[in-house]
Amino acid sequence: MAQVLLKNITKRWGDFVGVDNQSLAVADKEFLVLLGPSGCGKTTTMRMIAGLEEPTSGEIWIGDHVVNDDLPKDRDVAMVFQNYGLYPHMTIYDNIAYPLKVRGTPKADIKPRVEKAAEQVELTEFLHRKPKALSGGQRQRVALARAIVRTPKVFLMDEPLSNLDAKLRVTMRAELKHLSRQLQITTVYVTHDQIEAMTLADRVAVMEKGVIRQLGTPDEIYNDPSNLFVAGFIGSPAMNLINGSVKDGYFITTGGTRLVKVDGGDRAKVILGVRAEDVDIHESGQGDIDVLVYAYENTGESVMLTLQFGKQRIIAKGDRHLRKDMDDVVGLRVNPDHLYLFDSETEERIRY
Amino acid sequence: MTGKQRKQFWNVIQITLILIAAFIMLIPIIWIFLAAFKTHVDVYQLKLFFTPTLENFGTVFDAPYNLGNKLINSTIVAGVTVLFAIPIATCAAYSFSRFRLRFETSMLVMILATQFVPAVVIILPFFVMFRDLGLLDTRLGLIMVNLAIVMPFAIWMIKGFIDGIPLETEEAAMVDGSTRVQVIRNIVLPMAAPGLFTAGIFCFIIAWNEFLFALILTNKDAVTLPIGLALFKAEEGDLWNLLSAAGIIIMLPMFILALIIRKYFVQGMTMGAVR
Repeated sequence: MAQVLLKNITKRWGDFVGVDNQSLAVADKEFLVLLGPSGCGKTTTMRMIAGLEEPTSGEIWIGDHVVNDDLPKDRDVAMVFQNYGLYPHMTIYDNIAYPLKVRGTPKADIKPRVEKAAEQVELTEFLHRKPKALSGGQRQRVALARAIVRTPKVFLMDEPLSNLDAKLRVTMRAELKHLSRQLQITTVYVTHDQIEAMTLADRVAVMEKGVIRQLGTPDEIYNDPSNLFVAGFIGSPAMNLINGSVKDGYFITTGGTRLVKVDGGDRAKVILGVRAEDVDIHESGQGDIDVLVYAYENTGESVMLTLQFGKQRIIAKGDRHLRKDMDDVVGLRVNPDHLYLFDSETEERIRY
Repeated sequence: MTGKQRKQFWNVIQITLILIAAFIMLIPIIWIFLAAFKTHVDVYQLKLFFTPTLENFGTVFDAPYNLGNKLINSTIVAGVTVLFAIPIATCAAYSFSRFRLRFETSMLVMILATQFVPAVVIILPFFVMFRDLGLLDTRLGLIMVNLAIVMPFAIWMIKGFIDGIPLETEEAAMVDGSTRVQVIRNIVLPMAAPGLFTAGIFCFIIAWNEFLFALILTNKDAVTLPIGLALFKAEEGDLWNLLSAAGIIIMLPMFILALIIRKYFVQGMTMGAVR
């Protein structure tokens, strides 16, 4: 049970900056997700917490100790790796028991604890097998069991679900969530999958180019993005981002279309952000403007319309019973209650 | 012909061709094998049917040939070479594989480059050096030479096996609570074992068959089996029957080791299968 504290952490390899002077506090028992595209420094950040990577500068605290100079083994963390990092020459039992054995746990204690961990991830019947004889999902569970067999101060999970197939990922995600609620241990979880981040996290840190661009609850990250990167990264389909300006209380696209009412005074260069679900589709003539259907996609649970006016395209999510064809004309209205304005230069959110 | 018949026909052709090729390659060995059981008189006749005799194997161990001494020398030299080469090479290979070293590439190339130098070129300096050190005609001297010969090979081979162990596995062990030494002992060595074993056997074979250095650097006490073969040149001509018997004694461990390697080789190659 411990909080994790990063103070002005920087990681540099020569001229390349992996993590740029970041600070982050993970509260005790919190589930924090580091989310970002590949190469954004999220895994590096986690590896520095684990002690597998040394920060160029800054302090790392676990509990009430600075752990910068501690070896991984002395940091009392447990880590789940992307490729699981199982020991192929050992049985599942020995894999799970390894952290206990190597830390000198009394022999009598090992067996019940391994069996309990195996039971928690439903692996009891596989204990005598080697990792080679297990499926991907089962191997993943071995890695989990190996992490939970001790009670470490912190769990570190590095894209633990990314090697599983889509269906299994959803199941394992639910199991992970259940497990983490049960265990109540501080967890840092790295992923590039925003669904994982949204569903698992207490708080999400969205990273880009070695910098945490926003730290907040999944709700805040989704509904109140503080800059253009977070707005564009979170959400599927990605938020519509439209270049233009604000004039006389309206947002005007670069192409000159008067799109939607926006308060807060005139502004020269802004980017308007609208989520696909906040773009309403009406019959032709009944919306604010008439637009052409550029593409129509039916995903089953909803329909996705790519709409075009001038050179501008905008994606709208419609009711799953909506049926349109290419080149149909429909009416479009942008819901004025859920708009985001960003400064084109600084890419920061303009709050009005 | 139906498809199935045609397939069978080609199978027969293939097998025949393989057998012919194998036979051509095996002729010298077959010849030696037959000659070893022939009397001196029979050797010069290409008889396939003759009364086999074990006399040759007895003769080669008697005076004046005393092949037993050479067998002991060869075994000690090759065995001790492997005993030292594998642990040292494993340390070197692990460092090359896992740490970022200064001049890493240059060092690796240099290690390999020692193999490019023809032995004949350096054998004279070796002779002079060993004479001054009093290492001529000693097993110790031969072991040192053989170590120098097999080390580059062993380092490169073992490095390949250690490279095949995912770094994540080691990192997992470190986070799980192991020191670097425990990681090497509990994770790396067991996982690389088939590789170490294979490398060990290869080194043994190289040292066992080494001829040139043993020829120049030994003359009586430390003579090894390959050099011992020269003893069977007598005034009455080459004693092919004895030569063949000695040849079989040299080859026998190789056959056995080759069979063992086969098993480990497959293991070594499938080791990286767990991801």
